[in-house]
Formats: sequence, structure tokens, C-alpha cells
Amino acid sequence: MRDVLSPFLAWKNLFRDPVSIRDPLNREAAPRYRGFHKNDVEKCIGCGTCETICQNGAIDMVPVDGFDPKNGDSGLRPRIDYGRCCWCALCVDVCMTGSLTMSNAYKWVDADPDAFRFIPGVDAKSWDGSEHGYVCAEGHHLTALERVPMDEMEPEARISNFDEIVAGYDVARAKLEADRCVSCGLCIATCPAHMAIPQYIEAVRDGDYERGVALLYETNPFSNTCGRVCTHKCETACAVHNEGEAIAIRWLKRHIMDQVPQEKVREIVGKPGPATGRKVAIVGAGPAGLTAAFDLAKAGHAVTVYETRHAAGGMTRYGIPEYRLPYDALDRDVDVITSLGVDIRCDTRIGRDVAMADLHAANDAVVLAIGLHLGRSTRIPGSEHAQVKKAVDLLRQITDGEAFDVPKSAVVIGGGNVAMDIARSLARLQKQIHGKVDVTVTALEDLPHFLADREEVKECGEEGIPIFDARGPQQIVIDDAGRVTGLRTWRVKSIFDDKGRFAPSYDESDELFHPAEMVIEAIGQASDVSLLGEALTEELAWNRGRIAIDPDGRTSVPWLWSAGDCVAGPDVVHAVADGHRVAASIAAVFAERSDARE
Amino acid sequence: MTGRATSSPGGSTAASSPPIDLSSGKYLKLWQGPQHPGITGNMSVELTVCGDEVVEGKTHVGYLHRGFEKLMERRTFIQVFPIVCRVCVPEPDFNEYCYAATIEELAGIEAPERALWIRTLILEMGRINSYMMYLGGQAGALGMGVIGQWTTYVRDLMLDRFEELTGARIYHMFILPGGVRDGLPDGFDGRMEETLREIERTLADVEDVMFHNAVFKKRTKGVGVIPVDLIDRYGVTGPNARAAGLPNDVRKDHPYLVYPELTFEPVTGTDSDMYTRADVRRRDVAVSVDLIRQIIAKMPRTGPLTAKLPNVLHWKIPRGETYVRGECSRGEYGYYTVTDGSGHPRRINVRGPSYTHAMALLEHLIPGTNIADVAALMVSLHTYPPEIER
Amino acid sequence: MRTLLESLKERFPLGPITEQRPDLAFVTVERETLRPLIVHLRDREGFTHLVLLTAVDWIEENLFQLTYLVHDRANARDIGLRVMLPRDEPEMESIHDLWPTAATYQRELKEMFGIPFPGSPRLDEEFILEGWVDIPPYRRDFDTLKFAEENFEHRAGRGTTDPATHMRERMATQGGSK
Repeated sequence: MRDVLSPFLAWKNLFRDPVSIRDPLNREAAPRYRGFHKNDVEKCIGCGTCETICQNGAIDMVPVDGFDPKNGDSGLRPRIDYGRCCWCALCVDVCMTGSLTMSNAYKWVDADPDAFRFIPGVDAKSWDGSEHGYVCAEGHHLTALERVPMDEMEPEARISNFDEIVAGYDVARAKLEADRCVSCGLCIATCPAHMAIPQYIEAVRDGDYERGVALLYETNPFSNTCGRVCTHKCETACAVHNEGEAIAIRWLKRHIMDQVPQEKVREIVGKPGPATGRKVAIVGAGPAGLTAAFDLAKAGHAVTVYETRHAAGGMTRYGIPEYRLPYDALDRDVDVITSLGVDIRCDTRIGRDVAMADLHAANDAVVLAIGLHLGRSTRIPGSEHAQVKKAVDLLRQITDGEAFDVPKSAVVIGGGNVAMDIARSLARLQKQIHGKVDVTVTALEDLPHFLADREEVKECGEEGIPIFDARGPQQIVIDDAGRVTGLRTWRVKSIFDDKGRFAPSYDESDELFHPAEMVIEAIGQASDVSLLGEALTEELAWNRGRIAIDPDGRTSVPWLWSAGDCVAGPDVVHAVADGHRVAASIAAVFAERSDARE
Repeated sequence: MTGRATSSPGGSTAASSPPIDLSSGKYLKLWQGPQHPGITGNMSVELTVCGDEVVEGKTHVGYLHRGFEKLMERRTFIQVFPIVCRVCVPEPDFNEYCYAATIEELAGIEAPERALWIRTLILEMGRINSYMMYLGGQAGALGMGVIGQWTTYVRDLMLDRFEELTGARIYHMFILPGGVRDGLPDGFDGRMEETLREIERTLADVEDVMFHNAVFKKRTKGVGVIPVDLIDRYGVTGPNARAAGLPNDVRKDHPYLVYPELTFEPVTGTDSDMYTRADVRRRDVAVSVDLIRQIIAKMPRTGPLTAKLPNVLHWKIPRGETYVRGECSRGEYGYYTVTDGSGHPRRINVRGPSYTHAMALLEHLIPGTNIADVAALMVSLHTYPPEIER
Repeated sequence: MRTLLESLKERFPLGPITEQRPDLAFVTVERETLRPLIVHLRDREGFTHLVLLTAVDWIEENLFQLTYLVHDRANARDIGLRVMLPRDEPEMESIHDLWPTAATYQRELKEMFGIPFPGSPRLDEEFILEGWVDIPPYRRDFDTLKFAEENFEHRAGRGTTDPATHMRERMATQGGSK
């Protein structure tokens, strides 16, 4: 009987309120609902990682008006095709800046199917201001944000010697670090040499180091050097840099070179091209000159490089201390270049041993890549004293092993990498000779605006070298016996005037005295252009004290090109890029001349 | 209702019957499906009838084939995650769980404790929803539309809970390899409790109206019996096996996630007919409701939600193979995953319970049934065609 | 599990064994060993439940791997039997008489991988595919992307840009990379 009557209980629902939603068209979705995308286009860097991870192929990276490519931003923005999107939000999870999110809007009617393909954040939508919607949960990352640590010598162990501080990655750590790269390629444009960074990092992931070396040599014959001391601007453009630590691109480059024996590197680089009969002379065996030599030799031209100093390498050898760039690493880079038949003549100074005119007469083209070897002076009272030195001169002496009286105490004027280099080199010598470090650095800039690399500043501190920032040098104090006793500084109020010109102003009431036996100026360098000779100096066009060049590196004199620090300012990878540029320009001129002859 | 084989288990006549000669005029071919008849899904059964007695049934699938297993081979390990749920619409979460579990095992990753609790919660929520669709479908197949309206209503409430927890209603895409995407939102416990109460109230109504119902009993008792000796021969699992008296439940037999820390007993029946199977499932909903309450009470509220993953864009997993199973509302759901050291799975095979239930078993049970019972029989095996053809 | 594997080793020639978990092992066996071994496991060792039967295409090694996964409910453990078949001659004995449901798996394997199981019921009837003329689609050499490109049209209006290429082109025209 129950089985007959029980079903009628269904009728009791007649007396219940309806449970349906009253206004289904305006029901708001839950706060974390995954609805249409939003993109903060100012924050977005157009790295395309969202496109890479999308398993539906729903995302295109497209140029957007008003967003030009710049350092670390491709200028592209993601366009989403909702005919393909499956709302999985992996694009949101992987987004390198956190710019891409989802609103909780899910209702949108349009008769035009193509309307459902739009650029979030660019094509205005009603949900752009929506507060709700899916965001990646705190701490949930699909890529690794923290850099794999690099072994370094402890300050106590390194302060008494010039051994290389950084150990370099081992294979396991390098793979882990390479694994963090998202292969977006934003770094390539920032690198002056436009190195194939994502590709060589991929080679590290694959453990294919020979492919890695081949990729490095496509754009940079100074990879042992750049792998250690490159200014690595690429790392500022790294997509991971936005929410985490940039990929250690520089260390990975070094790691590739560390893994392949020198003979193998030479084999990968290959032989010079068939001889063309053209001859090129290069003045200065630094990265710019030797990169040009490398390219020209590969193309079959006969290249002779003239170098004043005892060994090749230029500023990388004579400016950068050994603990940052060991000479044997630099030697390996140079060795590959000489293996192509490039003739490097050291201890040969132009203007003394060979005249510019002779170079011109004997060659089809000449490249000036003479670097910045003259230190500038502060010209403050007392700066002419013998115990006031230029950083570049001291660094060269240290490299050449020339003995000099290492002062028990020293103060360095300058806040760039050269200042750090001389301060830390002196500290090592002091430790070796006097058993005690006493070096002080004073710089015009305040720490947030320091020109030196952060790591340099940090390591300086670790090595017991105090840095006094925002200090303007006023006078080198000399006692009655004619000995330097120290440096007097005032606090800097501002470095530039309203018009942006260099015009430091000081707070005279805030004076410090830095006691020291020696004062070292490290405030900038200039080229030693005296080797040009008067006639050529007259003939050349100049630009603010530097030789004027066109975008290809060609001077106003048809047979003369110039490259590297002497025309572009100090930066090793820039010098490499310059070397390539002048080599390409020379090759193009040669090709034109051949055409004209035929 | 004449000609209906009530007592003899379906199928035993098939072997002994004479070959079917369509030209004799005695038989008629009839296609049930492949239109979408709601709950039975996109599949069809090719029936050969003699009068209103079905003498042969052949299951036809392929209407929903999207080649998921093949598509997975083309995707990176993280890219597989959004597509697995689509293998099974009404209870997608088992795909997410089983896939994640095989990948974690092969890659040597351990999902954090808190994620395991949330995964269990989600799987039980999905089970309730799947059963709700089944109850409505089973009643609907026998003409009782109102049950479907009620169960769809409470299912919708649970979808609201899914929506606020996972960010989606149907395809949740929430259980990632390595963990889950997020924790419980604020106020979730209270709203879940309200939903559970509404489910219990509805379940009581369903019991009164569907299970204490002379018509329902007449149509389902003694019909579609699966003899216990067929259980393993036909790969029968889940409620279909438990209705035959076997306590087969992966949650107990092969405990996974946090089931060892939860108290429950597998629901079994004795008669192995359509009624018993429906009843087992109805009672299993109550078990899930209780499990959700236990989970909400015991689960940790703080701690990490995901294990640290390698950069998913270059994620490679060493060569290996494994199988991970779970107890879904229809029985054993499992992923057999093979990796080859590359960034893509070499092969993934999805083992859904419907693969055996809707094919060999259904074809075996159909002969001898009445044509009016075929739809109800199909539903009573609780099959979801997409997991057959994947 | 270890004891079981040891006793199996005494009775049957077994290939490589992988103990994936304490409750799951994979064993490679010869084509001829599969049937006596699986009957032994089913009738003597309690592995009464055929969980799945599927194939893996190791095209680089010119092999198909068949995986028979059987489950012992009482002891909550699984054994996966791997049979490696030459890809150009992959025929395998049917086990539909042991588990009627195996016929479905074998029908699918015939259709999707082209592995024949002579004697298996309705082996050649279409299962999932209809009017398929290409190579069996779950073989690794069947390219789904190529198939899609050939058979479906892209909707107009799509097109993407590579960030690095775009930057190279655009930043060069902006006057050098300085």
C-alpha cells in the first residue's frame, strides 16, 4: 500500500517556494570563475609565454598601436580566439608578469562570430574593470622564479689572492638554471651582439654543448670573456625578471664554453675562408678589433692586428682584474681567433713602431679599435701629486706584473666598475703584502644610482672595503713633508643642474676626511688618440672628443673604420657587436669594389 | 508486458537461440540512438526485435570520438591537464585526479597533504552530481520526469559549490599535476552544509516517490540481473558489482588520497537487478554526503597547495609506465600512462567503467529483455559513452 | 608481490620486471608465454579482473607493446604483462574466451593500432571509426595535425608574430639597437 501512496508525496512540493533563479540573465558568477580574459597591457611584456602554453592554439601575439618594442617588451600583446579557448587559465598561471587574468564575466552575445576574437586590455570590454575572476593563486607558479645558486669563494678565502671568485655551474645546476628559461627571446634585442640566447640555453638543457659553442660563435667570439664579465643587459630584459630572478644567461654562456675542450672549439669554429687577397690592418687587439679580425679572417681576408701592450685582450686584459676574468679564459678566446690565421703583433705601437700612413699604404682597410686607456683626472687641488694615481694605469701595472709600492692605505675616487676593480685589486695586494686591507671608495653618486654592478658593490663590502656614496672630492691633503695624508670630501646634494648638465652641488657643512697614503682616480677614461698623427687627426671628423663614425662604424676617412670602447664607450659585448659591424661594412665595401672592377 | 524475460538473467538465451534470419520476416532491426536521449549519451544500440522481445543488441559508439588519447601524445604534460576532464562530462574530476596521480608518480613529485584533501572533496562532490544525473535519468527512462527535475536542481546547487571552489561548473580543470589550484573560498563550509542538507531532503523525497513506488518496483525488480559470476568475466566494477553483493570499492580495496582517514562502508545490495543498482547508488549518495562532512571537518586549512614543479614548458619525464585507479560513481576509473623521457606522454590509456559495462556487458544482458526496458537497462548500468571511445 | 614474482619466474620464462609500486609490477613476456601465464594468474593467483588491455607504439624500436593489466582484488595488487610484438607482424592470440570483455579491447586494438587477434568476435567490425581509410590512427606515424590541416579549414583572421623576430625587425628600423 505504501508503494502506491508514497509517490503522491511529490505533491507536497506544490507548497514550496520556487527554487529557480529569478533573474538568470544577470546572475553573477562566483568570484574565482574563469570568464573572459583581462590584460593589464601596460604591465604585459608581450613575451608570448601564454601563447606557448595554450594547448588550443587560441592565442596570437599581435602588434598593437602605441606599443613599440623596447628593452624587455616585444610590443606585442595576446589576442585570444574564444572559438578555441577552453578557459583552462594556464595562460594566466604561466603569465610572466601577472598581467593576464580572467574576469568572472561569462555572458556575451554577439551576432558576429569574429567579435569573439579580441585583444584583452586593448579592445575595451565591459568586464575590463571587473574586480572578480580568476587570478593565479599565491605561490602557484608553473615556472621556477629563483635562480640556481652559483658557488663562489668566501670573502676570507678570496681576499688574499687573485683566483677567480665564481666557480661556474656544474652540469646539473646549469640544466636546472637553463630549465627556468621560457624561451621567449625578449633578451635577444637587448644584447648588443643579438646572441641566440634562448637557443644556446636550449642546448644546455639538451646537454648538447657543441651545438651551444656553434651558436655562441655565430655572434660572439669572446664567449669565455663575456661569459664572465659581460654587462649582461640581456638579464634586465629577461621575462622571468618581472616576478622572479632573471635567468643567469651570462653564467650559462660561460658554462657552455667550460664544457667543450679548446681543440673541439677550434674544430667547431672551422677554417678561414678561401683567401681573397684583401688585407686589413686592425689597431688594437681588444674585443672589438679581434671580433672584426675573426669575421674578416673567416671571410678569407688577411688580417694583421697591432697591439701596443705585451698581450692581446685590450681592456678585458688590462682593465679587468684576474679574479673576475682569469687570463687563461681570455687566452682561449684569443687562441681561436689566431687559429684562423689572424696575425697579432704585440708590443707594436702605431705612431712609434709603425706609422698610420704605412698601414694605409699596405692594406685595403684599417680599423681603429684602441679602447680607452687614458685615465681622467679630477683636477682637484693636490691631484698632480705622485701618490695620486689613475686606476687604469695601476690595473695595467698589476696585469703586467710590474712592481710598485703598495700603499698601506688608499682611497679610490669613483663609483663605476673600474673603481671597484682597482679597490678590490689593491685590497688583495695589501692583504698579501701588509696583511691588512685598508681601502676606501668615495663616489659622487648615491648607492641607488651607482654605475657599478650590484654584485661588485656587494662583493666590495664583503671584502671589507667601505663605500662612501654621494661624496664629492674637494682636496687631496698633503702634509708638510709632501706626503699624501688623505682626501677631503663634501656631501653631494645633486650631480646635475636643472638642464641636466654635469654640475655637482655640495653641502659644505658635511665634510669628511678619508686618511690614505695614496689616492686613486677612477672617474672615467679617454682614448689615446695621439697615435693618429697630426695629419690624420686633422682629416678626421670628430664628435665630442671621439672619432665620428657612421652607423656602420666607418669614419670620415674612406679607408678607416673605428670600433669598440673608443667610439662607443666602455662595454665588452658592445665592442664585440661593433667588431661585427665594421667587419660587415668592410666586407660590403670590398664587394662593391670587386663589382666596380669587373 | 508479454514476452518479457523477468526471471532468467538476460543473455543466457542468446547462445542457444537459432541464428537470426532477417529475411524470415520474424525480426525487425531497430536503432535506439544515436540521438542524444539525455542520460544514455551519444551512443546507439542496434536492436533486433521479435515482437516486443529483443533478441540481440549491439552497442555502437564513435559519435563522440575526439581521439583524446592521441591528442594527449601531442601535448606537453601540463597541456594534457585541460583536456583530460573532457573525457567524461558528468564526472570529469576523475580524469584530472588519475592523470595528475600517474604523472606525479612517474615524475617523482608528491602533492602536498592539503591538496590531497581538496582532491578527495572534489571527487566526492562529483560523485554526488553523477549519481544525481543517474537517479534523474533512471527515473526518466521509466517515465518519472519529476525526479529528474529534483535531482537536477540539487546537482545545480553542487555545481554552484564547484563554481566557487574551482572556478568552473562542468569542466573544473582544478586538479593540476602537483596539487590543486586553490584552497576553499571564505564561507564555503556553511554553503556546502546547506547544499548537503538540500541533497538529503531531496534524497528523502526521491526515496518516497521513486523507491517506494509500485510502478518503479514492477519495472525494475528482477530485471537486468547481472549474475555474480559475470562480475569479473565482464570487468564489472562499482555499484554494478556492489549491487550483486560484492563489496568492491577502490576507496576501500586500494585506498588512495585521504580515504584511509575517513570512515565509511561500501554500500552493497543482494539482488543485482535494476532496482538494487538504483538503490545502491541512492544509498551511496548518503555515504558521499557523510564523507564530505568528514572532509570539511578534518581537512587542514593551511599549507601549500602545489608541489614545486619544474618549468612546465620544458617538462620531461623519464621512461616509465604506471596505472592509477579511483572509484568513480560508476566503478573503476583509471589512467595507464607511459612516458618515454621526452616532454610528451608516449601513451595514455583511459580506463573508464563504461568500456566494459556498455559494450560486452550490455550486449550480453539485452537478449530476452522487453523493448521498453532497454533504455532503462542501459541507464541502470550507468554508462557514459565518451569514456568508451575517448 | 616479490614472492609472487619469484614463483612466477620458476614456472614461466619472464623478461624484464619493473616493480613500479609495492602493489604494481610490470613483467615483459614472450608472445607464447602470455596465455599460460595469464591463465595461471587468473585461476591460481586470484588475478580475476582484467583491468585493461591496450597497446603502446614504440615505433623507433619497431615494436608494439601490448599491456594486459590484471588485478588481484583480495591482495589489492596488479600485474601488467607486457608483450612486445614486431610492428610489421603484430598478430596476437585472442583471450576473449578467458574474459569475454577482452573482445572489445581487441576490436579496438585492431582498429586503432592494426593489431589482429584472430578468432576474436566481431574483430573486423568498425568500433569507433566509420569509413576510415588511413593507417590505424593510434599508430605513432599517423599525424593528427597533418590530418587536421588536410581535412579542415582554418578560420580566417588568425596569425601570430614571434616576439624576437618582431623586435629584430622593428627595433632595426627605429635606428639601431643602441
